[in-house]
Amino acid sequence: MRTRSRGLKVLPTALLVSQRSGQQLFAVSLSPLLERAAMSWTVPLVRASQRVSSVGANFLCLKMALCPRQAARIPLKGAWRFTSVSKMATVKSELIERFTSEEPVHHSKVSIIGTGSVGMACAISILLKGLIDELALVDLDEGKLKGETMDLQHGSSFTKMPNIVCSKDYFVTANSNLVIITAGARQEKGETRLNLVQRNVALFKLMISNIVQHSPHCKLIIVSNPVDILSYVAWKLSAFPKNRVIGSGCNLDTARFRFLIGQKLGIHSESCHGWILGEHGDSSVPVWSGVNIAGVPLKDLNSDIGTDKDPEQWKNVHEEVIATAYEIIKMKGYTSWAIGLSVADLTESILKNLRRTHPVSTIIKGLYGIDEEVFLSIPCILGENGITHLIKIKLTPEEEDRLKKSAKTLWEIQKELKI
Amino acid sequence: MSTVKEQLIEKLIEDDKNSQCKITIVGTGAVGMACAISILLKDLADELALVDVASDKLKGEMMDLQHGSLFFSTSKITAGKDYSVSANSRIVIVTAGARQQEGETRLDLVQRNVTIMKSIIPAIVHYSPDCKILVVSNPVDILTYIVWKISGLPITRVIGSGCNLDSARFRYLIGEKLGVHSTSCHGWIIGEHGDSSVPLWSGVNVAGVALKTLDPKLGTDSDKEHWKNIHKQVIQSAYEIIKLKGYTSWAIGLSVMDLVGSILKNLRRVHPVSTMVKGLYGIKEEIFLSIPCVLGRNGVSDVVKINLNSEEEALFKKSAETLWNIQKDLVF
Repeated sequence: MRTRSRGLKVLPTALLVSQRSGQQLFAVSLSPLLERAAMSWTVPLVRASQRVSSVGANFLCLKMALCPRQAARIPLKGAWRFTSVSKMATVKSELIERFTSEEPVHHSKVSIIGTGSVGMACAISILLKGLIDELALVDLDEGKLKGETMDLQHGSSFTKMPNIVCSKDYFVTANSNLVIITAGARQEKGETRLNLVQRNVALFKLMISNIVQHSPHCKLIIVSNPVDILSYVAWKLSAFPKNRVIGSGCNLDTARFRFLIGQKLGIHSESCHGWILGEHGDSSVPVWSGVNIAGVPLKDLNSDIGTDKDPEQWKNVHEEVIATAYEIIKMKGYTSWAIGLSVADLTESILKNLRRTHPVSTIIKGLYGIDEEVFLSIPCILGENGITHLIKIKLTPEEEDRLKKSAKTLWEIQKELKI
Repeated sequence: MSTVKEQLIEKLIEDDKNSQCKITIVGTGAVGMACAISILLKDLADELALVDVASDKLKGEMMDLQHGSLFFSTSKITAGKDYSVSANSRIVIVTAGARQQEGETRLDLVQRNVTIMKSIIPAIVHYSPDCKILVVSNPVDILTYIVWKISGLPITRVIGSGCNLDSARFRYLIGEKLGVHSTSCHGWIIGEHGDSSVPLWSGVNVAGVALKTLDPKLGTDSDKEHWKNIHKQVIQSAYEIIKLKGYTSWAIGLSVMDLVGSILKNLRRVHPVSTMVKGLYGIKEEIFLSIPCVLGRNGVSDVVKINLNSEEEALFKKSAETLWNIQKDLVF
């Protein structure tokens, strides 16, 4: 009898051999406690096989990689019963004839840690873009977690994605292609991102070890703030190669920047190109030399663009980007939609191996004269292996200075951290 | 001194500011915003307007959506307390209203929401006289009736989100039980969006095979597999999710997106939505209940005449009675 840490008992009954494939299987009898856990909970370490052999028995197969749809199919009444000989005619067995014993393997699994507003915004955006075939959600608040999972499952006929599982336990994240970390304390009104640090490092210690254990080959996207520091923390704790730890960084700042430039010019943000790099936050760096529409650099039209001398004060556009997060938090309590969409955008590049460029947070030591081991956003090429290449963007001495200053500020905080 | 814009761009003609496909969402709570994000990600509108009474929340939500503009194709997102922002909408989605509390039935909400509708609907109709109104606030069937009465619009243009979600939940649960995707499991729930909804077991089928022919006891109390529990779960779903996370949002948002898609693109798909059923199945009162309706650009253009067996008809009539008992006492 094996007892799981939550006190749910899993009782192996007998070693069985499937009549079809000769494969060894275990039959497991679930405790009555589990039936009350309702259909949307996954059952730890148990996957109900779809096998309905000619003998008519249901075999259960123990596997680390969970097939959530099947695991979620807990019978509504009564524990699993193990009938070896009698033909148990169900509507299902009358309707459907099994054709293959091959089990599905999920190729695009994403796990989201943290089911707060940001985590759920990431979830709904990823689902609506049809990027994945399995979604796992993890959070400490089990009630909220289960409620969110059920809500998404009920909408699954509209997203065509019913394979959504959840648990407080990280085993549900096993074999994820991508793990998105949004868990962490929320930025309070007026609180700078840097103030959040210490609160979040403790959380990360627990999270990262669990994630790595179950998905040793995944890519990590860090969203929790302060994202640059926490990306560093995640990298250190996971011991992953640097290509697989990606901070959502300035992807959102850049999206906001392009939106505001678009508003000013009366053009859709997609046609307005501009990059914000460096720290996701107060000291981010707008690269004015690169801002262009249809290849026409705005700096060619206005050489003072972005400086204090600029009569049009384009600098305000960047200042608005920084202020905007605080403003939205003041008005609605938090930000969610834009960051969710931004993360879905990164997810798409990674899962589809698009090799698009995004300003995301990565280790910058050795570039632009920076010696500290810090993460800052620079244009990266994102593909199925995470960050595969960096774009060697030319910065003015002033822009480089600002990155160096950012690096120093971040390092001042990072060196105090006990990791 | 010419601006960057003037140097960069040569104007040929004034920007055409008239949207072709504008959607207004009234209420920026969890449901309204779930509708918003689903509609944006499905590229259904070229303009989205948000209306609410809480101006800070409203502006914050609008800005948050605008900042995601790079990732979708709805170029204009506006918001305001005043209904003038909703002018010329094709569809107005009403999610505003008091929220179902833990343990509270949808019917308990009625009087609170009637008052709210009286303040909302005349303004909506004034600014978008040709719109379709999609009512989501609960109790949706009664409120759709109220909205219809207040708006003076034809019944084809006042639609309650009704049992579209219940049927989606039903199909999801059937799918889980059979190991088949919900879109391949067909099953309809009609009647009240609530405790007295009617599952049409005779229609439940996969690939045209009616499950009832495989098990005539399907959905009855003597059914060994207890398929009836699936319907019970559908009814309980909302209460359960509310207890766990405080409210439901994603599923209803997606369900609304589904309806909006059918209407705006004139798909003429069949959905179980809440419409006027007086004259059908022996119902004599002006009641709104969900039946399968064909949705297109004009709203509800046709209804599907399902043959209900005597038991289903009795349940449907009972739904109607339950609602009429509340409706008849309403003052508005």
